[in-house]
Amino acid sequence: MGEAPAQIPTSFGHELRACLRCRLVKTYDQFRDSGCENCPFFKMEDEHERIVDVTTPNFNGIISMMDPRKSWAARWLRIGKFAPGCYTLAVSEALPEEMQSICQQVRVQYVPPKRI
Amino acid sequence: MPRSRDEDDEIDGDYEGLDLEEEEEEDEEEEERGRGGGGSRRKRGRSNFIDDYADEDSQEEDDDDEDYGSRGGKGAASKRKKPSASIFLDREAHQVDDEEEEDEEEGEDDFIVDAGTDLPDERGDRRYERRFLSRDENDEDVEDLERRIQERFSRHHEEYDEEATDVEQQALLPSVRDPKLWMVKCAIGREREVAVCLMQKFIDRGADLQIRSVVALDHLKNYIYVEADKEAHVKEAIKGMRNIYSNQKILLVPIREMTDVLSVESKAIDLSRDTWVRMKIGTYKGDLAKVVDVDNVRQRVTVKLIPRIDLQALASKLDGREVSKKKAFVPPPRFMNIDEARELHIRVERRRDHMTGDYFENIGGMLFKDGFLYKTVSLKSITVQNVTPTFDELEKFNKPSENGEGDFGGLSTLFANRKKGHFMKGDAVIVIKGDLKNLKGWVEKVDEENVLIRSEMKGLPDPLAVNERELCKYFEPGNHVKVVSGTHEGATGMVVKVDQHVRVFADHVVESSEVTTGVTKIGDYELHDLVLLDNLSFGVIIRLENEAFQVLKGVPDRPEVALVKLREIKCKIEKKINVQDRYKNVIAVKDDVRVIEGPSKGKQGPVKHIYKGVLFIYDRHHLEHAGFICAKCTSCIVVGGSRSGANRNGGDSFSRYGNFKAPAPVPSSPGRFQRGRGGGYNNSGGRHVGGRGRGDDSLLGTTVKIRLGPFKGYRGPVVEVKGNSVRVELEMKIVTGKLLNSLFRMWVSTCRRNFNNSLYMQLIGMQYQIMLRQHPLDTSRYSMGSETPMHPSRTPLHPYMTPMRDSGATPIHDGMRTPMRDRAWNPYTPMSPPRDNWEDGNPGSWGTSPQYQPGSPPSRAYEAPTPGSGWASTPGGSYSDAGTPRDHGSAYANAPSPYLPSTPGQPMTPSSASYLPGTPGGQPMTPGTGLDVMSPVIGGDAEAWFMPDILVDVHKAGEDSDVGVIRDVSDGTCKVSLGSSGEGDTIMALPSELEIIPPRKSDRVKIVGGQYRGSTGKLIGIDGSDGIVKIDDNLDVKILDLALLAKFVQP
Repeated sequence: MGEAPAQIPTSFGHELRACLRCRLVKTYDQFRDSGCENCPFFKMEDEHERIVDVTTPNFNGIISMMDPRKSWAARWLRIGKFAPGCYTLAVSEALPEEMQSICQQVRVQYVPPKRI
Repeated sequence: MPRSRDEDDEIDGDYEGLDLEEEEEEDEEEEERGRGGGGSRRKRGRSNFIDDYADEDSQEEDDDDEDYGSRGGKGAASKRKKPSASIFLDREAHQVDDEEEEDEEEGEDDFIVDAGTDLPDERGDRRYERRFLSRDENDEDVEDLERRIQERFSRHHEEYDEEATDVEQQALLPSVRDPKLWMVKCAIGREREVAVCLMQKFIDRGADLQIRSVVALDHLKNYIYVEADKEAHVKEAIKGMRNIYSNQKILLVPIREMTDVLSVESKAIDLSRDTWVRMKIGTYKGDLAKVVDVDNVRQRVTVKLIPRIDLQALASKLDGREVSKKKAFVPPPRFMNIDEARELHIRVERRRDHMTGDYFENIGGMLFKDGFLYKTVSLKSITVQNVTPTFDELEKFNKPSENGEGDFGGLSTLFANRKKGHFMKGDAVIVIKGDLKNLKGWVEKVDEENVLIRSEMKGLPDPLAVNERELCKYFEPGNHVKVVSGTHEGATGMVVKVDQHVRVFADHVVESSEVTTGVTKIGDYELHDLVLLDNLSFGVIIRLENEAFQVLKGVPDRPEVALVKLREIKCKIEKKINVQDRYKNVIAVKDDVRVIEGPSKGKQGPVKHIYKGVLFIYDRHHLEHAGFICAKCTSCIVVGGSRSGANRNGGDSFSRYGNFKAPAPVPSSPGRFQRGRGGGYNNSGGRHVGGRGRGDDSLLGTTVKIRLGPFKGYRGPVVEVKGNSVRVELEMKIVTGKLLNSLFRMWVSTCRRNFNNSLYMQLIGMQYQIMLRQHPLDTSRYSMGSETPMHPSRTPLHPYMTPMRDSGATPIHDGMRTPMRDRAWNPYTPMSPPRDNWEDGNPGSWGTSPQYQPGSPPSRAYEAPTPGSGWASTPGGSYSDAGTPRDHGSAYANAPSPYLPSTPGQPMTPSSASYLPGTPGGQPMTPGTGLDVMSPVIGGDAEAWFMPDILVDVHKAGEDSDVGVIRDVSDGTCKVSLGSSGEGDTIMALPSELEIIPPRKSDRVKIVGGQYRGSTGKLIGIDGSDGIVKIDDNLDVKILDLALLAKFVQP
């Protein structure tokens, strides 16, 4: 499935943030300009103040997912259905409840990160 | 996938309806259908309804499979969780029913007929036709429907994907068909960049790049992982990348480690006000600080800390005077004294923070309050994890607010930082916060964050749930405690006084019933383990200190304790060795012994370890060295053992049977006679033993094998024992040598004395003077014999010991990929026979007794590369196919093993073959091998013995050989009646002149060795080297070594 890839982060430093739901990694500006490809229902591009709620700069590790359909890593990380792009292996925070209810409204599963 | 939200809703709703488990959704769906399908639909029974859906579902699934077929069978299958097999079967079953049902319906349900459209054959589509038609959406073309279906199902999968349970995660484990992970070296600090660049490259180049993903871990510098099917794909992808060293080797991550790569802890940074943190960089590096404010958006945090400011320097700087740039020292932490600053004419501004309303003193841009410096820093520049302030630090922090209550809140935040799960059932606790403050109780149960406590107080609900943050452990003076963290970690002691301070630290204290140290394990070594040290000395770990062990060395004369670092320990010694005490009683581990001479005379206790003739005895009344006493085995007696019995028995049995062992298949061998003489020595030696109580003499005449040194592997009888030396006659070749300070260890098999109870004995510290005599025997056979003990079962470096994995640090795995089991264990290289027989060996024996072989320095093994047998190179075969990662057996059984000897008993010379028709049983007849009870194939008791009523060949010197029947066996000679049925003359013959005649099929046989020795039976068949014997007594059919069978002649 040659799915359109998500935006690729334009930098590699502190500006990076990860979507708390799908773990897509982009810069703050990218989230602001075009939202999250996997989670359009957050409408980050329209409601900029949401960006800090639904994304986090605290994440661990980056995985560039070229071929989520065939990748074992994608399957393991459960990002196999998302658009190709750069993801993180793990985020440390959970979505705020408000945002979780948005997920519920649009019937999108949200799995909070497991705390160790 | 930009879709409108409504549509999304609808589709999801639809889908949920398909999911038979979601009742609610189903109802909704039903309603919907009701709306669309008209009243007639509604009347349908619910079960029908479900059947119908199920049926359609199966169709959909099929479609779906086509879509995702490319993923590979397993992947697709594992994705699907809910449609379990049973549901699937249902569908299949209903498919037929439904067909009929539908037909009926079509007749009676006018709605569908009315719709009048040509329904496509495909059932899946039909459903949508129905629905959409009913909504007047005829214009929706089929393609659009298909698209919807696809979308729907891609969503469907997505949802399954994310329902993460542990069980499912297991199902996602990598298989052989999955792409592999390759480790690629890249420039340090460029890991993320490389990953992102590769992503960009993939987007630019499209399908050219056949890699699946690239992983950059935060904690792994210098490497990235690339997921791809083939190494070539990785190479292709990284070609031309600036930050990748393409000339570096690309390493394959073993399949079992793949999940470790991706398993990173999502460390929850729980940074909030009042959290204790430490500064990572700058002047305040390492200093304790307390969080005042967190700005998550800008990733900044405001902390307060004790300033390290040199006021003089600051004053000069503010005055514009030149300050010496070099920072000779870091000013000590000191609270800012504003008055002092003013005296130095430093301008202090008092400002009110508009956010908090607090006043701050501003000096040169730095903000102070109450003497503390308030500093706003980047989140990255502080350490949040595992910050445990020391008491001194806390005291300092508490200083300014000296109003009694102090910073108790601060103390409680310290509790917030501590590791979880430290309350255990039975702990005495006290509530430190809230309404129940100062309530004491005992922990009943720990449930996540809540601790159920049972309180002393009457009238309170029992048990009472308290948040663990509101609890503190409670100690009373006199409790015996152990410090479980901090600088005094591991120390134990008694609580002498409890006040606030101790309470702070009480957190790290658990009540202890252990008198020794806290930690009982470092690395692989545990307290009270017997370990081999660097310099080939050994000892028992009697105490664990930080990163080091106290070891009571195995020196019997005086207690010698050494402090040993972890890396100085070679290995754990886990041999099960038996030795003899002064009176020849057998001492085994756990036997109670008493020390009768030497410095520890009078001590008594169970033997914990035996090594090199040294016993480590645990006497709980002994207060030093953790109760361990080291003593020579000969200066101890077994409690309850006999003073002389074993020796007499042993000697007797030896003298009686010793000579009746079947001689080597080469009857004229002088070696055999030599052995006879050896027996003689032994008898005299035995007398000495009785008289002088010297254990060493018992060696005389026994066959020993040299374990180390140039003569390693050779064996022969002991002919003389002198002090620390043993003269051994080696049955091999002419070499005369004196081996001083040798590290020989001898396995002494005393099985001839105790022939059912095979014993080994190990001698220590002896110098063996070896007299080697020429032996006319074929050396190759002996070399073979000498190798028998190298059976795989003793391989010490068994994979059990390898999985010391560090999930974060895969590059270290190189070491563990080598199963570490060849060179070190290959002392026989020069005479190693072809190894191709190993696979016939018994792979099961690998697991049975992974013992250490202390003789060889095991460190070598770790360097040993193992070509072609690690996990790394056999990811498919050993791991996935076996199904369970624990299954090492097959991997190792198949691995070519360079040191394993060929099956014992494979005749290498024609001469031996004639006597030993290719049987392992032939080996017992050679005195050398027969004694080697270590070999699981040939036990010490599985030797052939001369017995009455068996047919033998008699070779008297200078005479022709003749057959005869042994009539009697006594005192080293056999009475043999000549003739095949014993009808001829009776002569006396030495065992060495006799040879057992192997029986033929359907002969009556007597079993002359092994478990059934003495029994008679009938040889009903021969299978290679085994004979199938029907034993007379119980008519059991046994498969026995032919060599243990002799032709039986009825007396």
